[in-house]
Amino acid sequence: MLEVDRLTTRYGEITALHGADLRVDEGEMVALVGPNGAGKTTLLTTVAGLVRPASGSVRFCSANITGHDPARLLRAGIALVPERRRIFKDLTVGENLRLAGTTVPSSHRRVRIHELCERFPILGERVDVAAGYLSGGEAQQLAVARALMCDPKLLLLDEPCLGLAPAMVDVVFELLVELRDQGRTILVVEQQAHRVIGVADRSYVLRTGRIVAAGGKEFADRSDLFASYVGGAA
Amino acid sequence: MTEILQNLADGLGAGSTYALFAVGVSLIFGVMHLVNFAHGELLTLGAYLAYWMLLREFGWWVVVPAVIGAAVLGSMSIEFVAFRRIRGANPFTLLLTSFALEVLSHAVWKVFVSSKRKPFATPEWAFESFAIGSVRFEWWNIVAFGVAVLSFAVTAFVLRRTMFGLAVRAAAEDFDAARLMGVKANRVISGAFAFAGLLAGIASSLILMRKGGAEPRMGADPLLKAVIAAVIGGLGSLPGAVAGGLALGVTEVFVRDLLPEDLGGLTDGLVFAVIALLFIVRPQGLFNVETAERV
Amino acid sequence: MSPSTGFASGSDSGGTPGSGGTTGSGGTTGSGDVATSRRPGPAAPLFASVLGNFALLLVITLGGFAYASVGSSARDQLITEMLISVVLVVGLQVFMGNTGVLSFGHLGFASIGAYTASLLAIPEVRKHVLLPDAPFGIGNIEVPVFSATIIGIAVTFVVALIVGVVVARTNGLAATMITLALLFMVDSVARNWTDLTGGAGNLGSIPRLEGRVWVLVCAAITISIAAAFRFSPIGRMAQASREDDLAARAMGVNSSMVRFVALVLSAGIVGLGGALRSQSLGTIGPSQFSFDFTIIVIAMLVVGGMQTVSGAIVGTAIITFGKEFFRFLGDGPQWLGIDWPQVEGLPDFFLAAVLLAVLLTRPAGLLGAFDAGDLVLRIVRRRRMKSTALLTPSAQPVRAPRAPLGDDSLVAHGLGVTFGGFVAVDAVTITVAPGEIRGLIGPNGAGKTTFVNLVTGLVEPSHGEVRLGERRVGTTPTRVARGGVARTFQNLRVFGGLSVRENIAIAGLVARRHRRHRPAIDADALLAASGLTAFADHPARALDYGNQRRLEIARAAALRPDFLLLDEPTSGMSDTESAAMVSHIRGIAEMVGAGVLVIDHDLGFITTICDHVTVLDQGRILAEGTPAEVKTDPAVVAAYLGSHA
Repeated sequence: MLEVDRLTTRYGEITALHGADLRVDEGEMVALVGPNGAGKTTLLTTVAGLVRPASGSVRFCSANITGHDPARLLRAGIALVPERRRIFKDLTVGENLRLAGTTVPSSHRRVRIHELCERFPILGERVDVAAGYLSGGEAQQLAVARALMCDPKLLLLDEPCLGLAPAMVDVVFELLVELRDQGRTILVVEQQAHRVIGVADRSYVLRTGRIVAAGGKEFADRSDLFASYVGGAA
Repeated sequence: MTEILQNLADGLGAGSTYALFAVGVSLIFGVMHLVNFAHGELLTLGAYLAYWMLLREFGWWVVVPAVIGAAVLGSMSIEFVAFRRIRGANPFTLLLTSFALEVLSHAVWKVFVSSKRKPFATPEWAFESFAIGSVRFEWWNIVAFGVAVLSFAVTAFVLRRTMFGLAVRAAAEDFDAARLMGVKANRVISGAFAFAGLLAGIASSLILMRKGGAEPRMGADPLLKAVIAAVIGGLGSLPGAVAGGLALGVTEVFVRDLLPEDLGGLTDGLVFAVIALLFIVRPQGLFNVETAERV
Repeated sequence: MSPSTGFASGSDSGGTPGSGGTTGSGGTTGSGDVATSRRPGPAAPLFASVLGNFALLLVITLGGFAYASVGSSARDQLITEMLISVVLVVGLQVFMGNTGVLSFGHLGFASIGAYTASLLAIPEVRKHVLLPDAPFGIGNIEVPVFSATIIGIAVTFVVALIVGVVVARTNGLAATMITLALLFMVDSVARNWTDLTGGAGNLGSIPRLEGRVWVLVCAAITISIAAAFRFSPIGRMAQASREDDLAARAMGVNSSMVRFVALVLSAGIVGLGGALRSQSLGTIGPSQFSFDFTIIVIAMLVVGGMQTVSGAIVGTAIITFGKEFFRFLGDGPQWLGIDWPQVEGLPDFFLAAVLLAVLLTRPAGLLGAFDAGDLVLRIVRRRRMKSTALLTPSAQPVRAPRAPLGDDSLVAHGLGVTFGGFVAVDAVTITVAPGEIRGLIGPNGAGKTTFVNLVTGLVEPSHGEVRLGERRVGTTPTRVARGGVARTFQNLRVFGGLSVRENIAIAGLVARRHRRHRPAIDADALLAASGLTAFADHPARALDYGNQRRLEIARAAALRPDFLLLDEPTSGMSDTESAAMVSHIRGIAEMVGAGVLVIDHDLGFITTICDHVTVLDQGRILAEGTPAEVKTDPAVVAAYLGSHA
């Protein structure tokens, strides 16, 4: 469904991605792990259209979507849950959701919001509360709910467990599994590498802008995984 | 007591026009990080339009919507022609460019029309007053304040209830996250300029009904007051802009009143001294909450 | 694109290609044998600038004569007006150009200088008539024009001292607003203190100037002062602060102080300009120092380019002559065989159009960073190169010298900070021994950067302290830097508009005053060790990423620190580049005799370069030890990979 081919992204002088390749098939959950500064966020934001790549391509359902803007991608069915959530603190929960439905026809919008408030009761309770008052876990649910407003086929998540308490981390992982069982395709970046690899169908390791390892559950061996984080002469 | 009430009315009247301009300035700053010194030129545009129309015997009922429409279009044009090109530039360049536009506008009117004031007829009610007990109120102040309140109510409605308003608020908080939600950058910025133009047009109509004339440089003073009001309130904060505008208007009147007769002209200077003091004590403005700089 | 293509390989710590490895001390301008990378000493650019700009001014003045003789304009007035504007604009350049702060208020200073000088110089007889109630006994004083002008400048200085204390502390928009307030306050006083100033109208009978030489001399003096300031240590530090205030402070520059000096100096010059103006017109009034005229002066500065004196001169010339030409045109003359129509407002139109055009196409100004002095230097260099027969080939590439280590360890003791309810760093104690390279790692959000900010004074700790031996290191970035801890930044903060050499020199300036007890570090050797010799005179922002990183490290090293604090030096680099950084950083540290605390996410890099590693997780120390120990520590692995088996 998603094909990333030799993607290279630069921020001014810095090359954050050096020709990264990966693939996500329909219905899969794919994990992307690696040490910080590796370029994981850059990869997701490039796919999601926030940043234009210097070279390489991104294809979605065989269509070339390289460099398309987020609005267009949302309509095509790709949504990103950004790192650190980036919810609008001054807007209420309900307004955050409504805004996320910018590309959705207004009649559908209300229905979706209603559905999402049912699926995430916490949000339903706080629908008129300013999002800045939500706890970390609640904010994460809001961030995911926002992405779901467009009923995306492909969901990108950037470190959804960042800064969450262990109990909330469990909740997030359950949510991921649920979303995959619903038939959505998921590409998730996570710090909790070991756990996410255990849950995902396949995994990639990104280090200093390149994919250095790819595979399935065999990554369960922790020392090998950490070795790929360290790299070089381990 | 009488005097205080009258002064208050005067201050709120003038302050309302400052506030209308100031909200526009803050709105534009919120989405673009640009202090738009060309904003006051919308008044001048409206003035020359009013002059032209009144000369041809159009009534104020037609002139007012025309002035407002011109302000909206003018504001959007400025964005499209000049600011779109320099969108990512550093604050210094942005500021100076808006400055240059202001100066260009002054020059254009001078060259293509005249540097002399072009007077036009003002509606009679703008200078009439009425009394409640021993207190005299000028109709204009009441109307100005009322119109401003109405405008702010509409603004609040638009910002809170419409998708457009939602997009503007989100963009002001986190532009990229807003884009991620599917908001189109160009649309939200054009829209902000258009809305700022709308408020400017309303303020211009009010001002022109008293001003009775058009001259090339007339936009400079209101603009300065608007920028100061917006900065006092904290750039980007709309409630702050309203508060700043009203406060500025009221402060002006009271300072003028408190000063002895012959020093009345020192009003401006003292007001500026107060402003300077404010910036010394609180550089970020009254309402603004500055985000920390990422190291 | 491969990082080191075509440039000097960045990893050498010793011998270098290109420059032939000289230890040119950057001091001598004498003749004698020509070493290869000989630079003229610090005095040369200054003299060149003064010479070049004076020549520029003369050329423009003569050109102005030629131009004025063609049309029907009052020739004397135009040239005088231009020269006086040069004083004003160059005065403004001293502040705006060097600090980067937009000031609307300088005409306020001009006004003060002008009024003081004028009021003192107006003949007593006239004063009794014009200002019968003048306070301070001014009505009975009469001072010759020259002395009056001097006093005017002095009074302006005094006012600037007071205002400067306030403005120098603030930056950016707040500072600009305060200067705007100043302009209007002065205007308000001038308009209303009728007894003293004659009120809003014009006050006449001011002794006029004799001849133009007076003004030309003032312009020449102004240029010299401005050029001198630009190359002076304070001026250069102001420029560093202009480029990046935070980085400047982290290099030990006292930003407030340098801005203060720039303001006071520029105010005095502008005060002189104001006085000259009133004297040349013979009258004085508040309208001469209006907001409108402020915009004209700012435009003159910006159009030419505010970074250099030449920019100020050229901008002034363009606008003065351009306005005059369009005034001439607007009068409806007969010119080139055409009957031009009478149009009002053309000069203003011209001004605005030029300003806008420059801002939209060349925001740095027409001259950008170019100064007439550069041209002079180039000519001189070319002459010098012609006159030397051989270039002495270098002997051995010079081995970079090693400085001795300091005695004290850097100890952060129980350092911690809490933001709101959130404990970002929780009583962390880290020791870095002299000469040691210690790594600080940890997963996202562990508090590493916060810790660095605590140590370097950017964030105030809630508890704990940082010591270098017995001394506390300091609570502000400036003091920390002067105390011996030099840092680099995660987001790379070089002084982009300054040359590579100048970036390093700024740190050297600070070191010369505050780090005298440590051995001097040769700038050329640092450049060579960083592979930057070939780019020494290029602006820092023109360098590629890897070289900018190395420059930042070299700059920190030039501070003669006891400890280097490197924040993600390999961020954005490939594995190859990171590997090269290992030997590079080791070399620099040895050269300077500093210990290193390095934060990075590149675990391969860390495990290679570090003697010891501290692992932070959630604000606390999770583990400590050698890289090998830490790599195999299950707690560390768990922190990075997540704890569920």
